[in-house]
Amino acid sequence: MMLEVKGLAKRFGNINAVNGVDFHVAAGEAVGLVGESGSGKSTIGMLVTRLIAPTAGTIRFDGRDITALREADLRPLRAKLQIVFQDPWGALNPRMTIARALEEPLKLHTDLESSARAARLRDLAQRVHLPLASLERFPHELSGGQLQRVCIARALATQPKLIVLDEPTSSLDLSVRAGILQLLAEIRRESGVAIVFISHDLDTVELITDRVLVLYLGNVVEQGATKSIFARPAHPYTQTLLSANLPPDPDAVLKRHRVIGDTPSPIDLPPGCAFASRCPVAIPACRQARPPATALGDAHSAACIRIAEGANLLPT
Amino acid sequence: MSLLEVDELRVHFASRGMDNRLRVAHALNGVSLRVEEGEIVGLVGETGAGKSLTALALLGLLQPPAVVSAGRIRFEGRDLDPLKSDVRGTRLTLIPQSPHTSLDPLMRIGDQLVRMQREHADVPKKRAWQRARDMLAEVRIPAPDERLRAWPHELSGGLAQRVLVAMALVNRPRLVIADEPTTGLDVTVQAEVLDTLRELVRAHGMSAIIITHDLGIVAHYCDRLAVMFAGTIVEQGPTRKVFHEQRHPYTRALVASTPKRIAERGFGPVGGTPPDLYALPDGCLYRDRCVRAAAICVQPPPNVPFPGNHSALCHFAAEA
Amino acid sequence: MSALALPLGITRRSPTFAVGATIVLLMLLAALTANFIAPFSPTLAFPYEVLKPPGGKFLFGTDGNGMDVLSRVIHGTRYGFGIAVPAGIIMVLIGVPLGLIAGYQGGVIDEVLLRVLDVLRAFPSIILALAVVAATGASLVNVVLVIGLLDSPIFARVVRAEVLALRHSTFVRAAVAVGNPPWRVMLVHILPNAILGATAQLPIRMAWAVRISATLAFIGVGIQAPAPEWGAMIRQGAEYVISGEWWVATFPGLALIGLVLGFNLLGDGLTDILDPRRKGTGK
Repeated sequence: MMLEVKGLAKRFGNINAVNGVDFHVAAGEAVGLVGESGSGKSTIGMLVTRLIAPTAGTIRFDGRDITALREADLRPLRAKLQIVFQDPWGALNPRMTIARALEEPLKLHTDLESSARAARLRDLAQRVHLPLASLERFPHELSGGQLQRVCIARALATQPKLIVLDEPTSSLDLSVRAGILQLLAEIRRESGVAIVFISHDLDTVELITDRVLVLYLGNVVEQGATKSIFARPAHPYTQTLLSANLPPDPDAVLKRHRVIGDTPSPIDLPPGCAFASRCPVAIPACRQARPPATALGDAHSAACIRIAEGANLLPT
Repeated sequence: MSLLEVDELRVHFASRGMDNRLRVAHALNGVSLRVEEGEIVGLVGETGAGKSLTALALLGLLQPPAVVSAGRIRFEGRDLDPLKSDVRGTRLTLIPQSPHTSLDPLMRIGDQLVRMQREHADVPKKRAWQRARDMLAEVRIPAPDERLRAWPHELSGGLAQRVLVAMALVNRPRLVIADEPTTGLDVTVQAEVLDTLRELVRAHGMSAIIITHDLGIVAHYCDRLAVMFAGTIVEQGPTRKVFHEQRHPYTRALVASTPKRIAERGFGPVGGTPPDLYALPDGCLYRDRCVRAAAICVQPPPNVPFPGNHSALCHFAAEA
Repeated sequence: MSALALPLGITRRSPTFAVGATIVLLMLLAALTANFIAPFSPTLAFPYEVLKPPGGKFLFGTDGNGMDVLSRVIHGTRYGFGIAVPAGIIMVLIGVPLGLIAGYQGGVIDEVLLRVLDVLRAFPSIILALAVVAATGASLVNVVLVIGLLDSPIFARVVRAEVLALRHSTFVRAAVAVGNPPWRVMLVHILPNAILGATAQLPIRMAWAVRISATLAFIGVGIQAPAPEWGAMIRQGAEYVISGEWWVATFPGLALIGLVLGFNLLGDGLTDILDPRRKGTGK
């Protein structure tokens, strides 16, 4: 397992942003974290890369327990565990040229000499389909799509084993997104790097990932192979989420499952299932205890006590 | 006569940089658009395509350094001045993005709705309050009487957006412009807000322009669709027709770049860099990025009409 | 691009900066060429032409010792810059590292800095300066040191504020994620970006330095006559205002106002230039 997370939790004040999450990523796998605002998906990204420290739980990266590792010991590992952020304009030091930004990981983690580094830079630029001239430019001179390619190149510089991508295309224009997704597909093919893909865009997650975790208010409500989850969503929240998705096809027939009200505040959540307050099929028992994950076969599981009664709860 | 007619609107911005040289950004380059009564039109395009700017022009909110160099706007048969409007807020209203920056944080919801009415007409306070309450109910905000007294920060994103819808509709406008009305909202909430908007627009016989970059929203909520690029409308027509026929290469590129299409057909040619409004090409503004570009594209493209009130701005629009 | 284009462009962007820069540059020029442009030596006394009004040989008149006020005002620019520049250097050398560490790492250093700032806020700094200079003697070096040291925490506060704002920005997070140790994050990523905002403060702090040294001299604690320091000149001239010899105090006073104003406008203008440049024209 490249990444193993057990019982991961993060508390900010009286908000449980992440509330006991278990998942794993095998070498070369692409796992998606899907959810709306407050789901905790971005927080998980920060936790897994140890940019913030967990309140509870364990994180194992490439066989090593990094949960409580000191910064100094963590740093060499960062060469193999990288992250790409949502905002390409903000993710690069505005006063550094692209070349310097890409060189930095090489300087920090390798012993390469200056000329060898320069060669690697050209290599990286080509790999992400960036014109070599961009290397001498400053971030403000490049477009969003180009900047995101730079960020991906920076993440690739030290040949990582896992890259976390936090909404990498959400800030980009439609026509640019496809290019980035294509790049990611290419990179996965070439290098076999594992990725954790965090996004609220269901269509993109369906395209890119092998497995998916559906998150709601800090809890994993369903996880499994992407194909299974999108074809046969089991958890009422997943079903609602998928049904609210608008495909760009005027002929597609929509079957909307309505939720009740808006997402509640994450402060001081009542006990029981986090989705109970909005779930169209909730029963009193749902509010008593956090539902355990029910196995649905084939590594597909959903945390809902009503699933035992039948696979498809909501009317189609 | 259409409810709204925009003809060849051209807007540019002139400024001087630190080197004291004049730089001109050609933001709108001949926008022509029609909206009929009872229609919902989607305005789609990338950042910088000019969608929000068009909305500002319709609302009479353009300000220097913006210069309107050509074109006209007619609304309900009368000319509209892009720099100053007397129908804004009454017959032509806006639902802005980001409710928490668009609502006055220091006024209760009810007060804002009342102000919206009384600023434009002599409505007695009591009636304004009643209308405000009714409006909140119409946009499906639960417990409207209590919500009248709520402060904006007490509302969730979805509720706050509905309040913006209520504010835009309370004076019963003929045309509502919704500028990216669901940005920042969760998917599940987005659908509900859009449903409510559509319901009300239809119920009161209004028209609407929905500005968005989300093709999914356009596909399911808009009767007609206009695709914008570099300040021009490159294709417009009934939604189904535009999605099926895709007469303009940019429309094709947009549709092809959605993950759903990529899943079906694989990755197509990669999209290019955004157009530089300071240095637009001659002739067709899309030609630097167009896969179909040819020598003739240095000439301005014709607006080729198709049956069913559909047109595309391309030399090769008629090709299959 | 003609030679005039850049100055014109800058003036258009910020007339404030243009005016401030012009004043400061002119005064700097005066300081550098004082020996050539001043009609007389600043300490040359004309015992038979004491308290002559402006006109003729003495464009600004003469003071109580018969020294040419114009020459003294011109040479006074040397004191102005001679204090402002070294004090500025001290304040940068101390204030920047202090603000950087306090802002990024917090902890003890931050607490100490904040408490020092509290003390400075409670005491009028002029009293502190007064006390120290009176105790240690009124030499140029002492005055520069005191002013530089007093200004450092205030400059550090400005740097600290910039650092605090940057600490949570995405590229700093990215710098940590890439594997930068804290010292590199501070020096390579935070400092170059923080310094921009702090730079605009520098001329304003320098204006303050000029003012304080003049005040000290005026009180009688700083540089003293016959040195042509404007504060000292105003001190001497104050006695004569009542008897009608207004020029002895007025011209140095105007020069003082001019330089302080010049620095202040320069600083304000810098803020104008550095900030709105990041915003583009309309979409």
